[in-house]
Amino acid sequence: MATSDETDDRVGQAYRRRLRGAVGRATRRSRRAARPLWDRFRFARQDLTAATPTLPRVAYIFIAPFFLLFSAFLAFPVFYTLYLSFFEYRGVGQGSLFWIDLGPLYLEIPQIAQLEFIGLGNYARLLSNELFWQSMFNTSYILVIQVPLMIGLALALALALNASFLRLKGVFRTAIALPVSANLVAYSTVFLLLFNEQLGFLNYALAGVGLGPVPWLTDAFWARNTIIAAVTWRWTGYNMIILLAGLQTIPQQLYEAAEIDGANRWEKFRYVTLPQLKPVFLFVIVLSTIGTFKLFAEPYVITGGGPTNSTITIVQYIYRQAFVNFNLGYASALTVVFVVIVSVFSVVQIKIGGED
Amino acid sequence: MREQRRKDAVWQFLTYAFVVTMVVVMMVPLYWMLVAATLPQEQFLQFPPRLVPGTAFLDNFAALQERLDFVRTIRNSVLIAVIYTLLSLVLCSMAGFAFAKYEFKFKEPIFYAILATLVLPIQLLVIPLFLLMAQLDWTNTFRAIILPWAANPIGIFLMRQNMKSIPDALLESARMDGATEIQIFYRIALPTMRSSLAALAIILFLFQWDLFLYPLVILESADMYTIPIGLAQLTGFQRIYYDQIMVAATLAIVPMVVLFLLLQKQFVSGILAGSLKE
Repeated sequence: MATSDETDDRVGQAYRRRLRGAVGRATRRSRRAARPLWDRFRFARQDLTAATPTLPRVAYIFIAPFFLLFSAFLAFPVFYTLYLSFFEYRGVGQGSLFWIDLGPLYLEIPQIAQLEFIGLGNYARLLSNELFWQSMFNTSYILVIQVPLMIGLALALALALNASFLRLKGVFRTAIALPVSANLVAYSTVFLLLFNEQLGFLNYALAGVGLGPVPWLTDAFWARNTIIAAVTWRWTGYNMIILLAGLQTIPQQLYEAAEIDGANRWEKFRYVTLPQLKPVFLFVIVLSTIGTFKLFAEPYVITGGGPTNSTITIVQYIYRQAFVNFNLGYASALTVVFVVIVSVFSVVQIKIGGED
Repeated sequence: MREQRRKDAVWQFLTYAFVVTMVVVMMVPLYWMLVAATLPQEQFLQFPPRLVPGTAFLDNFAALQERLDFVRTIRNSVLIAVIYTLLSLVLCSMAGFAFAKYEFKFKEPIFYAILATLVLPIQLLVIPLFLLMAQLDWTNTFRAIILPWAANPIGIFLMRQNMKSIPDALLESARMDGATEIQIFYRIALPTMRSSLAALAIILFLFQWDLFLYPLVILESADMYTIPIGLAQLTGFQRIYYDQIMVAATLAIVPMVVLFLLLQKQFVSGILAGSLKE
C-alpha cells in the first residue's frame, strides 16, 4: 500500500542516510560539486527544513548582525593598523584591490590606501623621535603625580563616606560623584576658563590671599599641573564609587574582632581595611593608569599640547601625525606601541577584576 | 574616657571638614560655569569678577547660536546617541542570548575573539576606520559614527553574563508551547533582562555621547557636529567668547547632571559593571 509520497520519502531518507553515512567527506564534496547548481540549492533547502532541532542555525542568525559589524569595523581595523604600520602612506586608495565578477554577483574590495612598504622604518623613526619621547615623558609625569593624588583622595573620601557617624551620606556622595556625568570636552572648556590667567576664578581667588597670578596655561610646569587638576576633578568621584563598593563588602566582624584586640583607628585601617581592599585598590590604580595613557580631550582643549609640547600626550601625538600631517603609516606604528602598553595594563586589570 | 570622646569629636570634625571641602571643590567649576554663562560679556570681563549669576543666559545663547547652530549640534548628539544605543542594545542582546543559551560550532573561539578586543583601546581604530570610511564615501555621515561600535564587546559580555541566569526550563517550556526561537528571545528572555538592559543602555549612551577623537576625524561640516566637536571648535576660534562657550558647556553638562541625579543607581551600577570588565 505504499503511496508514491512514501516512496519518495523513503528514497529521500536513503539518500540522506547515504550522504551522512560511511561516505567520506571528500567523496561527498566531489559528488555535490558534480550536481547541477539548482539541485544543490534545492537539496540544501530541504536539508534546512528537514533538520529537526534547528537551534544551532538559529544561533547563527542571532549572532550574525553583531558578528558582521564586529568583523568589518573592529576585527579588520585591528589587523589593518598593524599592517599599515609597516608602510608609508602615499594617499587615498584608487581602484580595486580585489574583485570577483560572476555575472549577477559582482564583488569588489577597493584599495584602501596607496602604500609603500618600508619594513620597520616607522618603528625606527618613532624610537629616534624626540616628540614621541616627550609625549611619553608627559604621560608618565601626569601618571606619577595624578594617579596617586586622585586614588588617595578617592580612598579618603570613600573611608569618610563609609564612617558610621557621618550624616547626609547620600548628599555628599552624589555631590562628589557629580563630575562623572560631565562630558569630557565640556568640562575641559570649563577648566580652560577656570584656569585662564586674566579671567579665571583661580587666579582671582589666589589674588585674594595675596598670591601672584600663576601662569596656569603658558608655563610648562603649571600647564601639566592644570591638566592634572582637571583630570583629578573629573575622575575622583568615579574611583570613590568603586572603592566605596569595595569597602562595603568588608565583613563588619573583622572590625569588631580588631576592636576587641584593642586596635586603634590607624591599626584597623592598616591591618583590616587595606588588606581586604587590596584587590579593588589595585584595580582602580590599573584603571586610572590606563585612563592616563588614553588622555586626549583635556590636553587638546585646555592646553592644545602646549606650551612647546609640554603637555602633549601619546594619543594627541598620534592624532597630529595622522590627521594634521597625514603620516598615517607612522601614526599606525605609534598606535601599535600605544596599544601594546595599554593592553598589558588591561590584561592585568582583567586578571585583578576576575579574582572577585 | 573623656579624652577618648574629645579625640572622637576632633576626628569627626576633621572628617566633615574634609568631605565638605571636597564637595565645594567639586561644585566650584560647575558654579563658575553657570556664572559665566549667565553674565553679559562686559560684566564677565570686569575685574574683580562677579560671583553671582546674572540673567543674560538667553542673550548669550542667541549670540552662540549665531556663530554655531548649537541647537542642531545638540540634536545631532541626541540623535546619534539614541540610535546607537537602540541598535547596539538589539545587537548585543541577540548575540549575548545566543552565546548564553545555544551551543554551536566555533562558539568558544568567536566569543574569545570578541572578548580579546576588550583590552584594546578604541583609539586603535581611528586611523583604519578613517581610511575605510573615506573609501566607502561615508565621511561626514552619522552612519560612520553609529555603526563601528554598535557591535560593542562590553555589551555582548554583559548581556551574555546576565542571560546565563535565565533558567533553561523557562525557555524549554515555551518551546513546548510551540514558540519560535525568535519569540522566545523577545517575549521571554528580553523582559527578564530589563534592569541589565537599562544599565547597559546608560553605558552605551554615555560612551557615544562622550566619543570625541573619532567624530573629530569623521565629521567635517558644522551642521554635522556633535556636542564635543562643536565645543572644541568654539575654543579653536581666533577670539574666544567665554560666555558663549560656557552657555554651550552648560547645555552639554546640565542635562547629564539632571539625568545623573534621577538615575543615580543605574549610573553607579553602570560604573561598577563597566569598570569591572571595561
